Amino acid sequence: MYDAPHKDKDVTQNDIKISARDVQVFYGDTQAIKDVDVEIDDKTVTAFIGPSGCGKSTFLRCLNRMNDTIDICRIEGKISIDGEDIYDPSIDPVQLRAKVGMVFQKPNPFPKSIYENVAYGPKIHGMARNKAELDEIVENALKRAALWNEAKDRLDSPGTGLSGGQQQRLCIARAVATEPEVLLMDEPCSALDPIATAQVEELIDELRQTYSVVIVTHSMQQAARVSQKTAFFHLGNLVEFGDTEQIFTNPKDERTESYITGRIG
Amino acid sequence: MTDTTPSEGRQPRASAGEAVRNSLARRNRKQMVLQGFGIAAIVFAITMLLILLTSIIGNGYHAFTQTHVELDVFIDPEEIPEEGLPRGDYDDVLAVAMGTHFPDVDLSDRIATRELTSILSNGAQYILRDKVVADPSLIGQTISVKVPVSDPYDQLHKGLVERDTEEQFRRLDNDAIDRFDRLDDLDLVSKPLNTGLITQADSRFPELAGLKGALVGSFWALLTCFVISFPLGIGAAIYLEEFAPKNRWSDLIEININNLAAVPSVVFGLLALAVFIGWFGLPRSAPFVGGLTLALMTMPTIIIATRAALKAVPPSIREAALGVGASKNQVVFQHVLPLAMPGILTGTIIGLAQALGETAPLLLIGMNAFITSAASSPFDSATALPTQIFIWADSPERGFVSRTSAAIMVLLMFLITMNAIAIYLRSKFERKW
Repeated sequence: MYDAPHKDKDVTQNDIKISARDVQVFYGDTQAIKDVDVEIDDKTVTAFIGPSGCGKSTFLRCLNRMNDTIDICRIEGKISIDGEDIYDPSIDPVQLRAKVGMVFQKPNPFPKSIYENVAYGPKIHGMARNKAELDEIVENALKRAALWNEAKDRLDSPGTGLSGGQQQRLCIARAVATEPEVLLMDEPCSALDPIATAQVEELIDELRQTYSVVIVTHSMQQAARVSQKTAFFHLGNLVEFGDTEQIFTNPKDERTESYITGRIG
Repeated sequence: MTDTTPSEGRQPRASAGEAVRNSLARRNRKQMVLQGFGIAAIVFAITMLLILLTSIIGNGYHAFTQTHVELDVFIDPEEIPEEGLPRGDYDDVLAVAMGTHFPDVDLSDRIATRELTSILSNGAQYILRDKVVADPSLIGQTISVKVPVSDPYDQLHKGLVERDTEEQFRRLDNDAIDRFDRLDDLDLVSKPLNTGLITQADSRFPELAGLKGALVGSFWALLTCFVISFPLGIGAAIYLEEFAPKNRWSDLIEININNLAAVPSVVFGLLALAVFIGWFGLPRSAPFVGGLTLALMTMPTIIIATRAALKAVPPSIREAALGVGASKNQVVFQHVLPLAMPGILTGTIIGLAQALGETAPLLLIGMNAFITSAASSPFDSATALPTQIFIWADSPERGFVSRTSAAIMVLLMFLITMNAIAIYLRSKFERKW
């Protein structure tokens, strides 16, 4: 679909951005995640793959404490970003979520104008001192999300009036507008057609220059196309984690191999 | 299995296609019967509604006009001295004016005079008085005034009194009818639009009675009800839906709120009587107390509607806002609440419409008092629209029959308007995600 030559070469040079140790997640009495240890690099795209219900989305939502909003959800273990424990009582989840942006499965723009959608995050965090600065932030975010050319003449029209692919790019623009360090994407292309998917994938590769991107996907082709590192989840366990090329060409665990070759899942 | 199914073993079982075909006729018949019942129920309901509306409108339209008689009145300075304007003898002045059309009536005969002036409403003298007090230069002049006729003659003119009934069974004897007909022949009788129905407060005399007091009372009561129940109801709903921990206590509160919405209104009236009037010593018959009582009843409706509207906001919007780092408060007040607002407003308007038509609690706190002036504040005594209907329905004068129906029509008009606004809001702001 597009050229991504030798992108896996620079993987080893990156610092560790997120590290999870011995993470367990429970929904009531059901354990959704068991003993997950993983280290996610900075300026890298890490893909989480696995069959439905394997816990990959649950784990992703632990990284920005989105699971806090679910009453019965309980998390054990330690997750740190830049060496700082994000479940430490001194950490405010609001502050964390400004640093760890998220893009969801279904495009979910606010029922407001395109401008308002992007400006909302910077506004509530007080990132702009005046209208001009805010305009600049919005413009930059829309440019980064490759939406500026399509949206610049209709910033005041509602975000919900855009096409599905444009809406998802708007959501990416909204997420990058708060200048996060990590971008979490929960199956960002599952509601999009192939052309929109290609655009978003291209965008993800761009975003890698600045952020650590973690993407959950059902499509193994997508994982192979966009990621440098891949984690395979199965029944709540992190089965295998390594360079994308190695996972897809030479998996060490037979469950990974079965999944990749289409025997389970 | 139906009776017609052949016993197994003897014959091969019918194929699936055949079985479907066999049962189809029966299933279609059942559906037809069900549809028939549904249509019959709707036809019945519409018939009943039509009968109700026809009877109300058929009775009530008479009250939208009022028979008046036009008189040339000489404002006699001897009867109405300039120094004692309000206390002048306006009755006599009117009698003289009437007498000009009835030269055969001896005005020194008090009984004959009273019979003659009984054509005029008791309020006629006050109408004349107000005119003269407003403009004292009228004294000594002859002015033409239009005054309402009293109820029996109003009924007569509207054809509600059967002229062929035997005299002893009629309210008006033949002489009275003759006198009125003479005025009619002189072209002095007219039947203009009854503006008094809206501009005047209650009265013992049907021809003078109006809804102003009730309208003002209902306005104050609804305003009080809205000001109290809207913020409290929304606040409670937001807390319960968005912030309160889900445990046994919040479940208990939820059940109680739902039950509260089903408590008979008369119970709220008794509660208000005991608490607001008994303990707090608030004034009786005051729309403020009525509003408080109605607020108690409306609040559960608003809470339930608000919670439903908040629940209907898709979780993706909450996640989106949380995802960019909005706090819980910001999520609720900047995203969820604005999206839920149309639903909340719809629920509130329907709750207020219910409150507007509520009668029993207002009866208990004394808003069915006889009050002849409109309340100037929510603490003055007043009636409300439904209690005014109650009072008029209870009054023996013939004129109140049509006025009761007219008041019902006014109340229904308000209710229909409020519900129409609710429907409009709902359709205008309905969102599709």
